[in-house]
Amino acid sequence: MHELFNENLKRVTRRQLFGSARQGIGLTALASLFQRDNDCTASVPGLVDLPHHAPLAKRMVMLWQGGGPSHVDLFDPKDALFKRSGENVPDSVRGTTRLSTMSSGYSKWPVVAPIKKFRRYGQCGMELSEMLPSIGNLADDLCLVRSLHTEAVNHAPGVTFFLTGSQVPGRPSLGAWLSYGLGCETEELPAFVVMTSADKAKSCGQLFFDYYWGSGFLPSRYQGVKFRNTGEPVPYLSNPPGISRAARRSLLNDLAVMNAKHLADYGDPEIDTRIASYEMAFQMQSSVPDLIDFSNEPKYILDRYGPDVHVKGSFAFNCLVARRLLERGTRFVQLMHAGWDQHSNLYSQLEVQCRDTQGPSAALVQDLKERGLLEDTLVAWGGEFGRTPFGQGDPVNPKGRDHFGKAFSWWLAGGGVKSGHVHGATDEYAWNVTSNPVHVHDMQATLMHLLGIDHTRLTYRYQGRQFRLTDVHGDIVAGILR
Amino acid sequence: MTKKGPNRIHGVISSLYSILFFLFLILSNIAAGTEDTTLQPLEFNRDIRPILAEKCFYCHGPDPNKREADLRLDQRQSALDAGAIDPSESLILERIDSSDSEYLMPPPDSNRHLSPSEKKTLSRWIQEGAPYQAHWSFVTPIQNDPPTIKNPSLKPWPRNPIDMFILAELEKIGLVPSPEADKETLIRRLYADLIGLPPSPKEIDEFLANQSPGAYEKLVDQLLASQHYGERMALAWLDAARFADSNGFQQDGDTWQWIWRDWVIEALNRDMPFDRFSIEQLAGDLLPDATQPQLIATAFNRNHLLNGEGGAIAEEQRFNNLFDRVDTTSTTWLGLTMACAQCHDHKYDPLTQADYYRLLHVFNQVPETGRPGRQSSRIRIAPPFLEVVTADQKKELSRLKQNMRQLEKKAKPIIDVAYEAWKSGLFSDGQAADGKDLPRSLTPLLRKPKDTQSDAEKKKIENGLRKFFDSKVRQSVTKNLSIVTEYEEAKQAHDAFSGDKIPRIMVMSDNKPRETRVLDRGDYLSPLGNALVFAPPATLPPLPETLPKNRLGLAKWLFLPEHPLTARVQVNRMWQHFFETGLVKTTEDMGVQSEYPRHLALLDWLAIEFQKKSWSQKSMHKLLVMSATYRQTSKINADHLTKDPENRLHGRASRFRMTAMVLRDWALDCSGLLNRTVGGPPVYPYQPDQIWESLAITKERDFTYPQSTGTDLYRRSIYTFWRRTVAPANMFDSANRRTCTVRLNQTCTPLHALTTLNDPTWVEAARSLAELCIASRKTLDEQIILAFRTVMSRQPTSSERAILADMYAHQQSHITIKSAHTLLGKDTRSTEKSKDPVALATLANVCLAILNLDEALTRE
Repeated sequence: MHELFNENLKRVTRRQLFGSARQGIGLTALASLFQRDNDCTASVPGLVDLPHHAPLAKRMVMLWQGGGPSHVDLFDPKDALFKRSGENVPDSVRGTTRLSTMSSGYSKWPVVAPIKKFRRYGQCGMELSEMLPSIGNLADDLCLVRSLHTEAVNHAPGVTFFLTGSQVPGRPSLGAWLSYGLGCETEELPAFVVMTSADKAKSCGQLFFDYYWGSGFLPSRYQGVKFRNTGEPVPYLSNPPGISRAARRSLLNDLAVMNAKHLADYGDPEIDTRIASYEMAFQMQSSVPDLIDFSNEPKYILDRYGPDVHVKGSFAFNCLVARRLLERGTRFVQLMHAGWDQHSNLYSQLEVQCRDTQGPSAALVQDLKERGLLEDTLVAWGGEFGRTPFGQGDPVNPKGRDHFGKAFSWWLAGGGVKSGHVHGATDEYAWNVTSNPVHVHDMQATLMHLLGIDHTRLTYRYQGRQFRLTDVHGDIVAGILR
Repeated sequence: MTKKGPNRIHGVISSLYSILFFLFLILSNIAAGTEDTTLQPLEFNRDIRPILAEKCFYCHGPDPNKREADLRLDQRQSALDAGAIDPSESLILERIDSSDSEYLMPPPDSNRHLSPSEKKTLSRWIQEGAPYQAHWSFVTPIQNDPPTIKNPSLKPWPRNPIDMFILAELEKIGLVPSPEADKETLIRRLYADLIGLPPSPKEIDEFLANQSPGAYEKLVDQLLASQHYGERMALAWLDAARFADSNGFQQDGDTWQWIWRDWVIEALNRDMPFDRFSIEQLAGDLLPDATQPQLIATAFNRNHLLNGEGGAIAEEQRFNNLFDRVDTTSTTWLGLTMACAQCHDHKYDPLTQADYYRLLHVFNQVPETGRPGRQSSRIRIAPPFLEVVTADQKKELSRLKQNMRQLEKKAKPIIDVAYEAWKSGLFSDGQAADGKDLPRSLTPLLRKPKDTQSDAEKKKIENGLRKFFDSKVRQSVTKNLSIVTEYEEAKQAHDAFSGDKIPRIMVMSDNKPRETRVLDRGDYLSPLGNALVFAPPATLPPLPETLPKNRLGLAKWLFLPEHPLTARVQVNRMWQHFFETGLVKTTEDMGVQSEYPRHLALLDWLAIEFQKKSWSQKSMHKLLVMSATYRQTSKINADHLTKDPENRLHGRASRFRMTAMVLRDWALDCSGLLNRTVGGPPVYPYQPDQIWESLAITKERDFTYPQSTGTDLYRRSIYTFWRRTVAPANMFDSANRRTCTVRLNQTCTPLHALTTLNDPTWVEAARSLAELCIASRKTLDEQIILAFRTVMSRQPTSSERAILADMYAHQQSHITIKSAHTLLGKDTRSTEKSKDPVALATLANVCLAILNLDEALTRE
């Protein structure tokens, strides 16, 4: 019997157990047989009891807009702000709002009118800035949320809060939770990919720290793989110079034979996993370069993303790579663009940012739609907070806006959200949320819900406590669900 | 769209069949388990508390704010009073078996439910009178005699008391210990665990040749005395101390905290007793006549993140740092999750929110603002800090200072004249207040008529204007005056040297007394109630009156003989180091939510032993590695997988991939490249091109990676500069060095394989190892054997030699003279290259494969 066991042991890895369990033979006990904290599996399996319910979206792309896009200028039109330019925001509106130290000491709060007019777009008549015509063209596909709010006053805590559920770094990020819970649909590409870009003038100054896609206390395999903008997208992807793909193939074959011999001697299933991980590494060496090779994209598609699509590391380039990743089975793509921190250059930079990013964002949504992918792909566009309705800098002639968490806007599209819909509203100064407030944790709960996850049930035991993305908060925003 | 995964190297014949087989194994296991509990008397801590904690305490536990129906089940009297555990009509039993979902406990929507066997256990416990026990980890440990061995044939097996505890539990499940590993495995295991470097072939030969019974112990003693022991053992401590070389966040200024890292290595090498090791790190500054090293030790509590972002609210950041100190200290020393009590009373452990802030109080006396300050374009640190200046630096600084002062004497009168002239210009049109770009804070003062300005206001104006003049105006006014320019240059040289080159390590100090209050929901803007001072949680021993209510009191309190946690927490982490998993798996948490340790008696025995050995860590490490338990083979057999798949009972040695830091050191040392210098400033070994490019989006500082040259490329991994915002790319699965980490998760991903296959560090190590082998062995077979043995510490078997020879032949067929030159690069100038580049390149490839063997990556 022991020989029989050994024979089986060589053939069954935890990964296969998981795989079979998901096909319906499942018993949680099976999965837990090899459940060790340092368990070693090459591909990323999901949890056996997930998704919790039929998902409306199977994958997601987050178009993160770092710096804090101005809801006042872009998404939340207010006649009062146009009319009362230069007047103080009344105390009754300001209340005890916590502001950043750059403006909390002010004695005057002069309203700055939105820098451009707003227009109605689409059949739904959604009002957006005239600086966003391409986004506007998709208005009937979008769900605009005008009532987000956050406690954070500054970038890093704000971004960390949105992406990890806590203002202090160290918790798993949304993408890590998703790949932990849902696993991956592809073995050749990572489940969770991150790409970054910045405004060309480097006027924003926002950095993207790796804890924005970290795995926190989850095993590190769930952290996002950041594609680099220079050199190879994935570190150490290429063979050393002088080693051909054929030579490497041969080397790995022989390496596997050696490892298999050792497995027979030691009986440790982890060796089997190691063999598989080397094989996957070999596959990634061709699938990743293939991913960023646009030579088979038709010209009209490339044109849609604009001329920057050819510039590695630009937002446009990243948007097209995002589409190609989603097509190939990557679960969660997180694009991070730095460009929206207009403290002193509102009049010169905001429009530039819109020009550089709105076309590619719209092209991505359009592309997904044409491929039938938008149905079950969730797209989210937004940043860590909005910007102050009052001006920053010289009180007589302010040229910028400070950080503002009391109210701000995001838009969503695809996988399970209403289209041509506006959710929530703010007061006449775009300062306080007046209807359907959506807290950061609410948005997180909703995104997870759309992906088939009950945010209260996807937990991980750490330091004696069941942690989750939404801490102990978060209500699903039913009003935006289709 | 989604492609199928690659074919496996060796195929899967029938996974269904295998699964049925496993099912059988599991079911037989479950059956065996049920039988066990009915035979044994129930023990509250082992059998009952885990159920109550997991399923009931969230609503019926220590936290009064969350408590439902005023029912508290964590205290026996409360549970009795509420009728919950009365055997005749127990509320618990009624509710857990109810068919009414409104009445059922736990409520169906709580995501908690009781299994039939848990219900059975609870019922039995209540019938037996529902005895309670204090949570095991809050009770002072006692050292019981090790159990006696029942099986006479195993009587010779134990080498020390550890083994008797292990054997007793193995006997209970019918497992026997594994045979001792062969000597080659043992020497490699000891080297990996104690110094993190491979034994050289010569050291292996000596060990193999030494047949005396004391050979093993001699080796252990040698390794404990090695200066590399401290480097190896420091790694886990650095993870706990969230040590890094930069602040994190925007600008990510560099720090001098590496001076503390060297303190740790040295203290471990000297086997500083753990009580002193701890007291100096927690409160070295409060010791009488504190020495410089004792001050440096306190950097432990300054290794946290520092947020210097524009607009960040300093006080909020200061509290983030305080919370971090509480969390780090309680995880590291107490194995308690104090963080859970930051916003409310702990849901499971008897820790109140007030307890949390009483502990926070000892860290709340530091003269700090929460904001780091700029020392140079590279360095950003926050006071209090300690200057650690060498004699040479002192000399250079005083030279620069003198030079600056001399020039200042000449330049100052000229600058003063320029200032007065500028100022009179400013006021001449009577519109000084509207002066272009003057600081906003001065505007209202300048608007006031001069005769209504108070003296203080006048002074503020004068100081403000002078500061503005010096920073914004002066240069344009005096740029053509050579004496002023010379002074400016001298000042710049002085400031640059002082800010950038003088080491300033951030340390602790209690020079800013502050009151501490509970913060409502952990919000720094919402203090509640009266000021608190330090006192331990009521569950733990009280603070003796002789101890001060500050960090020193806290530190000494940890080492009271009756303290139930400190020693247990440490020996548990030692166990984790040598046996992969702690006796309590959650090394970060020994609270109520932690698992009940199957080997509690052993844990307690070790905890007392640690104290008896005067807190000597080396003695404890020796005790652990001398055990027969440690010396077993790590081979897995069918019995192991059926009876103890996770190896929690240690019927075999554990087998695990070495950490990335150790793997890198291993590869470098095998190839003769490793620079074994101990200590010093961090170095910048190979990283992917432009590793920090994502940080370089402002012009505030140059984020070019300053790659080291020469032998600094090959220092041990512990000395690699650790940038918090972008960790080194080849240190996979490491702690994040942002929050306290005492248990690492190991994973296995294709990205790790890419690293050890393609990172220039490994490629260069492979090439260098090939050169060594060619230079010292004549035949190819001998060269391959040497390469294999250098990495694996054993001879390859004949079939392994055959596979490696095949591998060599296969590689040779792919390599041309041209590709050989490309692979070897222009930096390789060895004679082997000039003799036969193809041979060297081919063997280098084989060496790379050897370094990537599962066995090479694994501590067996």
